[in-house]
Amino acid sequence: MNIDLTQACPVLRNRTEENDREKGRIPVKCRQRNRFIPVFLIGVAVLSVLSLLYLEIDWLKMASRVGDIGVVFWDLAHLDFSNMDLILSSLVETISIAVLSLLYSLILGIVFGMLAARNVFRIPVLSVVTQSFFTFLRAVPTPVWVLLMLVCLGMGPEAGVAGLCVHTTAFFTKSFAQSFESIPDETIEALEVTGASRLSIFMNAVLPAALSQIVAWAGMRLETNFSECAILGMVGAGGIGYVISNSLQGYDYGAAGVAILLVFLVAYCIERGFVRIKKKFS
Amino acid sequence: MTKRIPLIARDLKQLYTGFLIAAVALFIVCSFLTEFNVMTLIANGDAFWEFITQDFLPPALPKASRIPGVLDSVVVTLALAMSSTTIAAILAFFVSLFGSEKVSPFPRFAKVVRGFATFLRNIPALVWAFILFSSLGIGTGVGFVALCITSFAFMVRAFVETMEDVSQDCVESLQAVGATFPQRVSQAILPSCLSGFLSWYLYCLEVNIRASTIVGMVGGGVGLTLFSYIKSFRYDIALSIILLIAAMVIVVDQITGKLRKELLK
Repeated sequence: MNIDLTQACPVLRNRTEENDREKGRIPVKCRQRNRFIPVFLIGVAVLSVLSLLYLEIDWLKMASRVGDIGVVFWDLAHLDFSNMDLILSSLVETISIAVLSLLYSLILGIVFGMLAARNVFRIPVLSVVTQSFFTFLRAVPTPVWVLLMLVCLGMGPEAGVAGLCVHTTAFFTKSFAQSFESIPDETIEALEVTGASRLSIFMNAVLPAALSQIVAWAGMRLETNFSECAILGMVGAGGIGYVISNSLQGYDYGAAGVAILLVFLVAYCIERGFVRIKKKFS
Repeated sequence: MTKRIPLIARDLKQLYTGFLIAAVALFIVCSFLTEFNVMTLIANGDAFWEFITQDFLPPALPKASRIPGVLDSVVVTLALAMSSTTIAAILAFFVSLFGSEKVSPFPRFAKVVRGFATFLRNIPALVWAFILFSSLGIGTGVGFVALCITSFAFMVRAFVETMEDVSQDCVESLQAVGATFPQRVSQAILPSCLSGFLSWYLYCLEVNIRASTIVGMVGGGVGLTLFSYIKSFRYDIALSIILLIAAMVIVVDQITGKLRKELLK
Protein backbone atom coordinates (compact mmCIF):
# COMPACT_ATOMS: atom_id res chain seq x y z
CA MET A 1 0.00 0.00 0.00
CA ASN A 2 2.59 2.53 1.05
CA ILE A 3 5.04 2.29 -1.76
CA ASP A 4 7.67 4.88 -1.29
CA LEU A 5 8.85 6.14 -4.61
CA THR A 6 12.49 6.09 -3.57
CA GLN A 7 12.11 2.54 -2.35
CA ALA A 8 10.36 1.27 -5.44
CA CYS A 9 13.09 2.52 -7.68
CA PRO A 10 16.63 2.10 -6.40
CA VAL A 11 18.17 4.51 -8.92
CA LEU A 12 16.12 7.35 -7.55
CA ARG A 13 17.05 6.46 -4.01
CA ASN A 14 20.74 6.40 -4.80
CA ARG A 15 20.42 9.73 -6.41
CA THR A 16 18.81 11.39 -3.43
CA GLU A 17 21.31 9.79 -1.10
CA GLU A 18 24.16 10.94 -3.27
CA ASN A 19 22.66 14.34 -3.31
CA ASP A 20 22.62 14.37 0.46
CA ARG A 21 26.15 13.03 0.69
CA GLU A 22 27.44 15.72 -1.61
CA LYS A 23 26.14 18.31 0.76
CA GLY A 24 27.83 16.44 3.56
CA ARG A 25 24.61 15.20 5.10
CA ILE A 26 23.54 11.78 6.26
CA PRO A 27 20.01 11.03 5.04
CA VAL A 28 17.85 10.86 8.13
CA LYS A 29 14.44 10.77 6.59
CA CYS A 30 12.43 7.75 7.65
CA ARG A 31 11.34 5.82 4.55
CA GLN A 32 8.70 3.62 6.06
CA ARG A 33 6.03 6.22 6.62
CA ASN A 34 2.35 5.58 6.66
CA ARG A 35 1.01 7.52 3.71
CA PHE A 36 -2.43 7.50 5.23
CA ILE A 37 -1.55 9.74 8.20
CA PRO A 38 -1.28 13.08 6.33
CA VAL A 39 -4.57 12.38 4.54
CA PHE A 40 -6.18 11.58 7.85
CA LEU A 41 -4.82 14.72 9.49
CA ILE A 42 -6.08 16.95 6.72
CA GLY A 43 -9.49 15.27 6.80
CA VAL A 44 -9.76 15.75 10.55
CA ALA A 45 -8.74 19.40 10.30
CA VAL A 46 -11.31 20.15 7.59
CA LEU A 47 -14.10 18.33 9.42
CA SER A 48 -13.30 20.09 12.70
CA VAL A 49 -13.31 23.54 11.13
CA LEU A 50 -16.62 22.76 9.42
CA SER A 51 -18.10 21.55 12.71
CA LEU A 52 -16.93 24.63 14.53
CA LEU A 53 -18.56 26.83 11.91
CA TYR A 54 -21.73 24.75 12.04
CA LEU A 55 -22.03 25.12 15.81
CA GLU A 56 -22.16 28.92 15.52
CA ILE A 57 -20.85 29.45 19.04
CA ASP A 58 -21.00 33.05 20.14
CA TRP A 59 -17.31 33.34 20.99
CA LEU A 60 -17.38 37.04 21.77
CA LYS A 61 -20.12 36.64 24.30
CA MET A 62 -18.31 33.71 25.88
CA ALA A 63 -15.03 35.58 25.97
CA SER A 64 -16.65 38.53 27.67
CA ARG A 65 -17.82 36.22 30.44
CA VAL A 66 -14.55 34.37 30.99
CA GLY A 67 -13.93 36.49 34.06
CA ASP A 68 -17.06 35.02 35.63
CA ILE A 69 -15.48 31.57 35.59
CA GLY A 70 -12.89 32.83 38.03
CA VAL A 71 -15.63 34.22 40.25
CA VAL A 72 -17.48 30.89 40.22
CA PHE A 73 -14.32 28.98 41.10
CA TRP A 74 -13.59 31.45 43.84
CA ASP A 75 -17.09 30.85 45.22
CA LEU A 76 -16.64 27.09 44.89
CA ALA A 77 -13.40 27.28 46.83
CA HIS A 78 -15.23 28.72 49.84
CA LEU A 79 -16.07 25.28 51.11
CA ASP A 80 -19.20 25.14 53.20
CA PHE A 81 -19.29 22.13 55.50
CA SER A 82 -22.67 22.86 57.09
CA ASN A 83 -24.50 20.28 54.98
CA MET A 84 -21.85 17.65 55.47
CA ASP A 85 -24.16 14.85 56.64
CA LEU A 86 -26.42 15.16 53.60
CA ILE A 87 -23.45 15.29 51.23
CA LEU A 88 -21.75 12.31 52.85
CA SER A 89 -24.86 10.16 52.85
CA SER A 90 -25.52 10.89 49.19
CA LEU A 91 -21.88 10.15 48.40
CA VAL A 92 -22.19 6.78 50.12
CA GLU A 93 -25.37 6.14 48.17
CA THR A 94 -23.61 6.95 44.91
CA ILE A 95 -20.68 4.65 45.69
CA SER A 96 -23.04 1.86 46.70
CA ILE A 97 -25.03 2.17 43.49
CA ALA A 98 -21.83 2.07 41.46
CA VAL A 99 -20.52 -1.02 43.28
CA LEU A 100 -23.83 -2.88 43.26
CA SER A 101 -24.41 -2.31 39.56
CA LEU A 102 -20.85 -3.46 38.90
CA LEU A 103 -21.32 -6.69 40.84
CA TYR A 104 -24.68 -7.57 39.33
CA SER A 105 -23.39 -6.86 35.83
CA LEU A 106 -20.31 -8.95 36.53
CA ILE A 107 -22.52 -12.00 36.98
CA LEU A 108 -24.81 -11.10 34.08
CA GLY A 109 -21.79 -10.28 31.92
CA ILE A 110 -20.25 -13.71 32.50
CA VAL A 111 -23.54 -15.42 31.59
CA PHE A 112 -24.16 -13.35 28.47
CA GLY A 113 -20.48 -13.37 27.56
CA MET A 114 -20.70 -17.15 27.59
CA LEU A 115 -23.61 -16.97 25.16
CA ALA A 116 -21.89 -14.40 22.98
CA ALA A 117 -18.50 -16.12 22.71
CA ARG A 118 -18.24 -18.17 19.57
CA ASN A 119 -16.21 -20.98 21.05
CA VAL A 120 -18.34 -21.93 24.05
CA PHE A 121 -21.59 -23.25 22.65
CA ARG A 122 -20.63 -23.21 18.99
CA ILE A 123 -24.05 -21.99 17.88
CA PRO A 124 -23.18 -19.10 15.53
CA VAL A 125 -26.74 -17.72 15.43
CA LEU A 126 -26.86 -17.42 19.22
CA SER A 127 -23.61 -15.48 19.47
CA VAL A 128 -24.46 -13.18 16.59
CA VAL A 129 -27.88 -12.36 18.03
CA THR A 130 -26.48 -11.77 21.54
CA GLN A 131 -23.63 -9.65 20.30
CA SER A 132 -25.75 -7.41 18.10
CA PHE A 133 -28.35 -6.93 20.83
CA PHE A 134 -25.68 -5.85 23.29
CA THR A 135 -24.03 -3.64 20.69
CA PHE A 136 -27.30 -1.75 20.55
CA LEU A 137 -27.52 -1.50 24.35
CA ARG A 138 -23.93 -0.31 24.53
CA ALA A 139 -24.42 2.35 21.90
CA VAL A 140 -27.01 4.22 23.96
CA PRO A 141 -25.46 6.30 26.76
CA THR A 142 -26.11 5.27 30.37
CA PRO A 143 -28.14 8.31 31.52
CA VAL A 144 -30.74 7.52 28.88
CA TRP A 145 -31.27 4.06 30.37
CA VAL A 146 -31.43 5.50 33.85
CA LEU A 147 -34.05 8.03 32.73
CA LEU A 148 -36.18 5.24 31.31
CA MET A 149 -35.69 3.13 34.46
CA LEU A 150 -36.75 6.12 36.54
CA VAL A 151 -39.97 6.21 34.57
CA CYS A 152 -40.86 2.58 35.16
CA LEU A 153 -39.34 1.91 38.59
CA GLY A 154 -39.84 5.29 40.23
CA MET A 155 -37.28 7.31 42.16
CA GLY A 156 -34.72 5.53 44.26
CA PRO A 157 -31.54 3.49 44.06
CA GLU A 158 -33.31 0.70 42.13
CA ALA A 159 -33.56 2.84 39.02
CA GLY A 160 -29.91 3.82 39.30
CA VAL A 161 -28.69 0.27 39.76
CA ALA A 162 -30.90 -1.13 36.99
CA GLY A 163 -30.04 1.64 34.54
CA LEU A 164 -26.31 1.38 35.16
CA CYS A 165 -26.54 -2.40 34.90
CA VAL A 166 -27.85 -2.19 31.33
CA HIS A 167 -24.80 -0.42 30.01
CA THR A 168 -22.26 -2.17 32.24
CA THR A 169 -23.63 -5.60 31.34
CA ALA A 170 -23.42 -4.75 27.67
CA PHE A 171 -19.83 -3.60 28.12
CA PHE A 172 -18.86 -6.72 30.08
CA THR A 173 -20.56 -9.02 27.59
CA LYS A 174 -18.43 -7.71 24.79
CA SER A 175 -15.15 -7.69 26.67
CA PHE A 176 -15.69 -11.05 28.39
CA ALA A 177 -16.71 -12.67 25.10
CA GLN A 178 -13.43 -11.38 23.66
CA SER A 179 -11.49 -12.84 26.57
CA PHE A 180 -13.29 -16.18 26.24
CA GLU A 181 -12.59 -16.30 22.54
CA SER A 182 -8.89 -15.68 23.05
CA ILE A 183 -8.54 -19.07 24.73
CA PRO A 184 -6.71 -21.53 22.47
CA ASP A 185 -8.93 -24.00 20.65
CA GLU A 186 -6.66 -26.86 21.65
CA THR A 187 -7.72 -26.57 25.28
CA ILE A 188 -11.36 -26.80 24.38
CA GLU A 189 -10.82 -29.61 21.91
CA ALA A 190 -8.87 -31.62 24.45
CA LEU A 191 -11.76 -31.39 26.88
CA GLU A 192 -14.29 -32.13 24.15
CA VAL A 193 -12.53 -35.41 23.40
CA THR A 194 -12.89 -36.49 27.00
CA GLY A 195 -16.64 -36.06 26.60
CA ALA A 196 -17.06 -33.12 28.93
CA SER A 197 -20.29 -31.21 28.46
CA ARG A 198 -20.28 -27.67 27.06
CA LEU A 199 -21.07 -26.14 30.41
CA SER A 200 -18.36 -28.01 32.27
CA ILE A 201 -15.82 -27.05 29.60
CA PHE A 202 -16.80 -23.45 30.21
CA MET A 203 -16.64 -23.75 33.99
CA ASN A 204 -13.38 -25.68 34.13
CA ALA A 205 -11.33 -24.35 31.24
CA VAL A 206 -12.64 -21.15 29.74
CA LEU A 207 -13.67 -19.25 32.86
CA PRO A 208 -10.53 -19.91 34.93
CA ALA A 209 -8.31 -18.92 32.03
CA ALA A 210 -10.16 -15.64 31.55
CA LEU A 211 -10.39 -14.84 35.26
CA SER A 212 -7.46 -12.43 35.42
CA GLN A 213 -8.87 -10.44 32.51
CA ILE A 214 -12.28 -10.37 34.14
CA VAL A 215 -10.78 -8.90 37.31
CA ALA A 216 -8.93 -6.30 35.23
CA TRP A 217 -12.06 -5.31 33.32
CA ALA A 218 -14.03 -5.03 36.55
CA GLY A 219 -11.46 -2.70 38.08
CA MET A 220 -11.44 -0.54 34.99
CA ARG A 221 -15.20 -0.36 34.89
CA LEU A 222 -15.51 0.68 38.55
CA GLU A 223 -13.89 4.00 37.65
CA THR A 224 -16.33 4.62 34.80
CA ASN A 225 -19.31 3.50 36.83
CA PHE A 226 -18.53 5.89 39.63
CA SER A 227 -18.30 8.92 37.37
CA GLU A 228 -21.44 7.85 35.47
CA CYS A 229 -23.17 7.46 38.79
CA ALA A 230 -22.14 10.94 39.86
CA ILE A 231 -23.77 12.24 36.68
CA LEU A 232 -27.01 10.33 37.19
CA GLY A 233 -28.14 12.62 39.96
CA MET A 234 -28.05 15.49 37.52
CA VAL A 235 -30.61 13.93 35.21
CA GLY A 236 -33.00 13.30 38.07
CA ALA A 237 -31.87 10.23 40.02
CA GLY A 238 -30.59 10.64 43.58
CA GLY A 239 -27.04 10.62 44.86
CA ILE A 240 -24.24 13.15 44.90
CA GLY A 241 -25.04 14.50 41.42
CA TYR A 242 -28.40 15.72 42.67
CA VAL A 243 -26.67 17.61 45.50
CA ILE A 244 -24.22 19.18 43.04
CA SER A 245 -26.80 20.32 40.48
CA ASN A 246 -29.23 21.42 43.17
CA SER A 247 -26.73 23.55 45.06
CA LEU A 248 -25.27 25.01 41.85
CA GLN A 249 -28.71 26.04 40.68
CA GLY A 250 -29.51 27.44 44.12
CA TYR A 251 -26.27 29.48 44.10
CA ASP A 252 -25.08 27.51 47.12
CA TYR A 253 -21.55 27.28 45.76
CA GLY A 254 -19.89 26.33 49.03
CA ALA A 255 -21.83 23.08 49.36
CA ALA A 256 -21.36 22.32 45.67
CA GLY A 257 -17.62 22.85 46.08
CA VAL A 258 -17.46 20.30 48.88
CA ALA A 259 -19.49 17.78 46.86
CA ILE A 260 -17.35 18.21 43.72
CA LEU A 261 -14.18 17.90 45.78
CA LEU A 262 -15.46 14.66 47.31
CA VAL A 263 -16.36 13.26 43.87
CA PHE A 264 -12.85 14.08 42.72
CA LEU A 265 -11.23 12.50 45.78
CA VAL A 266 -13.17 9.25 45.49
CA ALA A 267 -12.52 8.99 41.75
CA TYR A 268 -8.84 9.69 42.37
CA CYS A 269 -8.59 7.06 45.11
CA ILE A 270 -10.23 4.43 42.89
CA GLU A 271 -7.82 5.25 40.08
CA ARG A 272 -4.73 5.17 42.32
CA GLY A 273 -5.77 1.95 44.00
CA PHE A 274 -6.34 0.29 40.69
CA VAL A 275 -2.98 1.45 39.29
CA ARG A 276 -1.30 0.00 42.38
CA ILE A 277 -2.98 -3.38 42.05
CA LYS A 278 -2.13 -3.48 38.36
CA LYS A 279 1.54 -2.76 39.08
CA LYS A 280 1.69 -5.42 41.75
CA PHE A 281 0.29 -8.19 39.57
CA SER A 282 1.61 -7.41 36.15
CA MET B 1 -2.51 -36.70 53.80
CA THR B 2 -2.41 -36.21 50.05
CA LYS B 3 -0.14 -33.53 48.81
CA ARG B 4 -1.63 -31.30 46.19
CA ILE B 5 0.20 -29.51 43.48
CA PRO B 6 -1.06 -25.92 43.27
CA LEU B 7 -2.43 -25.28 39.80
CA ILE B 8 -2.12 -21.51 39.82
CA ALA B 9 0.61 -19.22 41.04
CA ARG B 10 0.26 -18.15 44.64
CA ASP B 11 0.09 -14.41 44.03
CA LEU B 12 -2.63 -14.91 41.42
CA LYS B 13 -4.55 -17.05 43.86
CA GLN B 14 -4.20 -14.28 46.42
CA LEU B 15 -5.57 -11.82 43.91
CA TYR B 16 -8.61 -13.95 43.14
CA THR B 17 -9.33 -14.70 46.78
CA GLY B 18 -8.96 -11.04 47.67
CA PHE B 19 -11.21 -10.04 44.80
CA LEU B 20 -13.88 -12.55 45.78
CA ILE B 21 -13.85 -11.56 49.45
CA ALA B 22 -13.95 -7.86 48.55
CA ALA B 23 -16.82 -8.46 46.12
CA VAL B 24 -18.93 -10.35 48.66
CA ALA B 25 -18.21 -7.86 51.45
CA LEU B 26 -18.99 -4.87 49.23
CA PHE B 27 -22.13 -6.56 47.99
CA ILE B 28 -23.45 -7.07 51.52
CA VAL B 29 -22.53 -3.57 52.70
CA CYS B 30 -23.95 -1.83 49.64
CA SER B 31 -27.14 -3.86 49.58
CA PHE B 32 -27.62 -2.93 53.21
CA LEU B 33 -26.92 0.75 52.60
CA THR B 34 -29.16 1.24 49.59
CA GLU B 35 -31.76 -1.36 50.64
CA PHE B 36 -31.63 -2.64 47.10
CA ASN B 37 -33.07 -6.05 46.52
CA VAL B 38 -33.26 -7.88 43.22
CA MET B 39 -36.42 -9.60 44.37
CA THR B 40 -38.38 -6.33 44.40
CA LEU B 41 -37.18 -5.73 40.89
CA ILE B 42 -38.35 -9.16 39.78
CA ALA B 43 -41.64 -8.70 41.65
CA ASN B 44 -42.10 -5.47 39.72
CA GLY B 45 -41.45 -7.34 36.50
CA ASP B 46 -45.05 -7.06 35.34
CA ALA B 47 -45.10 -3.28 35.52
CA PHE B 48 -41.78 -3.26 33.74
CA TRP B 49 -43.01 -5.50 30.97
CA GLU B 50 -46.18 -3.49 30.61
CA PHE B 51 -44.15 -0.31 30.25
CA ILE B 52 -42.06 -1.83 27.50
CA THR B 53 -44.94 -3.31 25.50
CA GLN B 54 -47.50 -0.54 26.04
CA ASP B 55 -45.59 2.73 26.15
CA PHE B 56 -42.36 1.90 24.46
CA LEU B 57 -43.22 -0.29 21.51
CA PRO B 58 -43.70 0.20 18.64
CA PRO B 59 -41.38 3.13 17.94
CA ALA B 60 -43.21 6.11 16.48
CA LEU B 61 -41.88 8.88 14.30
CA PRO B 62 -42.12 12.45 15.55
CA LYS B 63 -44.36 14.85 13.65
CA ALA B 64 -43.19 15.42 10.10
CA SER B 65 -42.53 19.08 10.83
CA ARG B 66 -40.18 18.13 13.67
CA ILE B 67 -38.04 15.66 11.72
CA PRO B 68 -35.59 18.22 10.24
CA GLY B 69 -35.07 19.63 13.73
CA VAL B 70 -34.25 16.19 15.10
CA LEU B 71 -31.80 15.48 12.28
CA ASP B 72 -30.25 18.89 12.82
CA SER B 73 -29.73 18.09 16.50
CA VAL B 74 -27.92 14.88 15.51
CA VAL B 75 -25.56 16.92 13.32
CA VAL B 76 -25.01 19.38 16.18
CA THR B 77 -24.08 16.47 18.47
CA LEU B 78 -21.62 15.09 15.93
CA ALA B 79 -20.11 18.51 15.27
CA LEU B 80 -19.77 19.16 19.00
CA ALA B 81 -17.88 15.91 19.53
CA MET B 82 -15.69 16.36 16.48
CA SER B 83 -14.59 19.95 17.08
CA SER B 84 -14.09 19.64 20.83
CA THR B 85 -12.01 16.47 20.48
CA THR B 86 -9.76 18.06 17.86
CA ILE B 87 -9.18 21.25 19.82
CA ALA B 88 -8.54 19.23 22.96
CA ALA B 89 -6.12 16.95 21.10
CA ILE B 90 -4.07 19.87 19.81
CA LEU B 91 -3.85 21.41 23.28
CA ALA B 92 -3.16 18.04 24.88
CA PHE B 93 -0.29 17.34 22.50
CA PHE B 94 1.59 20.46 23.55
CA VAL B 95 0.84 20.04 27.23
CA SER B 96 1.72 16.34 27.28
CA LEU B 97 5.22 17.20 26.05
CA PHE B 98 5.71 18.87 29.41
CA GLY B 99 4.05 16.05 31.30
CA SER B 100 6.65 13.39 30.65
CA GLU B 101 9.81 13.54 32.73
CA LYS B 102 11.97 12.13 29.97
CA VAL B 103 10.87 14.55 27.28
CA SER B 104 10.02 17.75 29.06
CA PRO B 105 12.67 20.48 29.25
CA PHE B 106 11.54 21.10 32.84
CA PRO B 107 11.30 17.62 34.36
CA ARG B 108 10.44 19.01 37.75
CA PHE B 109 7.12 20.38 36.55
CA ALA B 110 6.05 17.13 34.90
CA LYS B 111 4.33 15.95 38.07
CA VAL B 112 2.46 19.26 38.37
CA VAL B 113 1.17 18.99 34.80
CA ARG B 114 0.04 15.42 35.32
CA GLY B 115 -1.61 16.26 38.62
CA PHE B 116 -3.53 19.10 37.01
CA ALA B 117 -4.72 16.77 34.25
CA THR B 118 -5.78 14.20 36.84
CA PHE B 119 -7.84 16.82 38.62
CA LEU B 120 -9.60 17.89 35.41
CA ARG B 121 -10.19 14.32 34.33
CA ASN B 122 -11.74 12.98 37.49
CA ILE B 123 -14.62 15.41 37.44
CA PRO B 124 -17.28 14.23 34.96
CA ALA B 125 -18.07 16.33 31.87
CA LEU B 126 -21.61 17.05 32.98
CA VAL B 127 -20.36 18.53 36.27
CA TRP B 128 -18.06 20.80 34.28
CA ALA B 129 -20.99 21.78 32.13
CA PHE B 130 -23.00 22.71 35.21
CA ILE B 131 -20.13 24.72 36.70
CA LEU B 132 -19.55 26.54 33.42
CA PHE B 133 -23.10 27.29 32.60
CA SER B 134 -23.56 29.17 35.84
CA SER B 135 -20.85 31.52 34.56
CA LEU B 136 -20.96 31.36 30.75
CA GLY B 137 -24.71 31.07 30.31
CA ILE B 138 -26.61 28.26 28.63
CA GLY B 139 -25.81 27.17 25.08
CA THR B 140 -23.71 24.97 22.85
CA GLY B 141 -20.53 26.81 23.81
CA VAL B 142 -20.73 25.47 27.36
CA GLY B 143 -21.04 21.90 26.14
CA PHE B 144 -18.09 22.51 23.85
CA VAL B 145 -15.84 23.80 26.63
CA ALA B 146 -16.92 21.07 29.06
CA LEU B 147 -16.16 18.32 26.55
CA CYS B 148 -12.87 20.00 25.74
CA ILE B 149 -11.80 19.99 29.39
CA THR B 150 -12.41 16.30 30.05
CA SER B 151 -11.08 15.04 26.74
CA PHE B 152 -8.05 17.32 27.06
CA ALA B 153 -7.24 15.84 30.46
CA PHE B 154 -7.82 12.30 29.25
CA MET B 155 -5.58 12.75 26.24
CA VAL B 156 -2.79 14.35 28.27
CA ARG B 157 -2.64 11.16 30.31
CA ALA B 158 -2.90 8.89 27.28
CA PHE B 159 -0.27 10.83 25.31
CA VAL B 160 2.17 10.86 28.22
CA GLU B 161 1.75 7.10 28.59
CA THR B 162 2.28 6.59 24.85
CA MET B 163 5.47 8.62 24.98
CA GLU B 164 6.80 6.69 27.96
CA ASP B 165 5.97 3.35 26.35
CA VAL B 166 7.97 4.12 23.25
CA SER B 167 11.67 3.48 23.66
CA GLN B 168 13.51 6.53 24.94
CA ASP B 169 16.78 5.74 23.14
CA CYS B 170 15.92 8.06 20.31
CA VAL B 171 15.24 11.02 22.59
CA GLU B 172 18.34 10.33 24.65
CA SER B 173 20.65 10.05 21.67
CA LEU B 174 19.29 13.25 20.19
CA GLN B 175 19.79 14.94 23.52
CA ALA B 176 23.35 13.63 23.62
CA VAL B 177 24.20 15.26 20.31
CA GLY B 178 22.75 18.51 21.52
CA ALA B 179 19.42 18.67 19.75
CA THR B 180 17.10 21.37 21.03
CA PHE B 181 13.70 20.64 22.51
CA PRO B 182 11.69 21.36 19.32
CA GLN B 183 14.12 19.23 17.33
CA ARG B 184 13.78 16.37 19.76
CA VAL B 185 10.00 16.57 19.52
CA SER B 186 9.81 16.73 15.77
CA GLN B 187 12.50 14.13 15.03
CA ALA B 188 12.06 11.60 17.81
CA ILE B 189 8.65 11.90 19.43
CA LEU B 190 6.45 12.67 16.47
CA PRO B 191 7.58 9.90 14.09
CA SER B 192 7.37 7.18 16.71
CA CYS B 193 4.26 8.25 18.60
CA LEU B 194 2.03 9.88 16.00
CA SER B 195 0.03 6.78 15.11
CA GLY B 196 -0.42 6.05 18.82
CA PHE B 197 -1.64 9.59 19.44
CA LEU B 198 -4.09 9.38 16.56
CA SER B 199 -5.41 6.07 17.79
CA TRP B 200 -6.10 7.65 21.19
CA TYR B 201 -7.69 10.58 19.43
CA LEU B 202 -10.11 8.22 17.69
CA TYR B 203 -10.92 6.51 20.98
CA CYS B 204 -11.61 9.87 22.55
CA LEU B 205 -13.86 10.76 19.64
CA GLU B 206 -15.91 7.63 20.26
CA VAL B 207 -16.25 8.51 23.94
CA ASN B 208 -17.15 12.10 23.13
CA ILE B 209 -19.94 11.13 20.76
CA ARG B 210 -21.67 9.50 23.71
CA ALA B 211 -20.70 12.27 26.11
CA SER B 212 -21.92 15.03 23.81
CA THR B 213 -25.34 13.35 23.73
CA ILE B 214 -25.41 13.68 27.51
CA VAL B 215 -23.88 17.13 27.76
CA GLY B 216 -26.41 18.12 25.10
CA MET B 217 -29.04 17.78 27.80
CA VAL B 218 -27.96 21.19 29.10
CA GLY B 219 -26.93 22.61 25.75
CA GLY B 220 -28.30 21.75 22.34
CA GLY B 221 -28.06 18.48 20.50
CA VAL B 222 -29.95 15.24 20.33
CA GLY B 223 -29.78 14.76 24.12
CA LEU B 224 -32.02 17.76 24.64
CA THR B 225 -34.51 16.48 22.06
CA LEU B 226 -34.64 13.07 23.73
CA PHE B 227 -34.98 14.64 27.16
CA SER B 228 -37.92 16.77 26.09
CA TYR B 229 -39.77 13.78 24.60
CA ILE B 230 -39.24 11.71 27.74
CA LYS B 231 -40.44 14.57 29.90
CA SER B 232 -43.58 14.95 27.81
CA PHE B 233 -44.27 11.19 28.16
CA ARG B 234 -43.92 10.43 24.45
CA TYR B 235 -41.96 7.24 25.04
CA ASP B 236 -42.66 5.78 21.60
CA ILE B 237 -41.05 8.80 19.93
CA ALA B 238 -38.27 8.68 22.50
CA LEU B 239 -37.59 5.10 21.44
CA SER B 240 -37.09 6.09 17.83
CA ILE B 241 -34.68 8.81 18.95
CA ILE B 242 -32.83 6.27 21.09
CA LEU B 243 -32.58 4.05 18.00
CA LEU B 244 -31.26 7.05 16.08
CA ILE B 245 -28.61 7.71 18.74
CA ALA B 246 -27.63 4.02 18.72
CA ALA B 247 -27.33 4.06 14.94
CA MET B 248 -25.21 7.21 15.10
CA VAL B 249 -22.86 5.74 17.70
CA ILE B 250 -22.53 2.40 15.91
CA VAL B 251 -21.77 4.06 12.56
CA VAL B 252 -19.13 6.29 14.15
CA ASP B 253 -17.59 3.28 15.94
CA GLN B 254 -17.39 1.39 12.66
CA ILE B 255 -15.73 4.30 10.89
CA THR B 256 -13.19 4.91 13.65
CA GLY B 257 -12.47 1.19 13.79
CA LYS B 258 -11.66 1.17 10.07
CA LEU B 259 -9.54 4.30 10.38
CA ARG B 260 -7.63 2.88 13.33
CA LYS B 261 -6.73 -0.24 11.38
CA GLU B 262 -5.51 1.91 8.54
CA LEU B 263 -3.46 4.12 10.87
CA LEU B 264 -1.73 1.35 12.78
CA LYS B 265 -0.77 -0.52 9.64
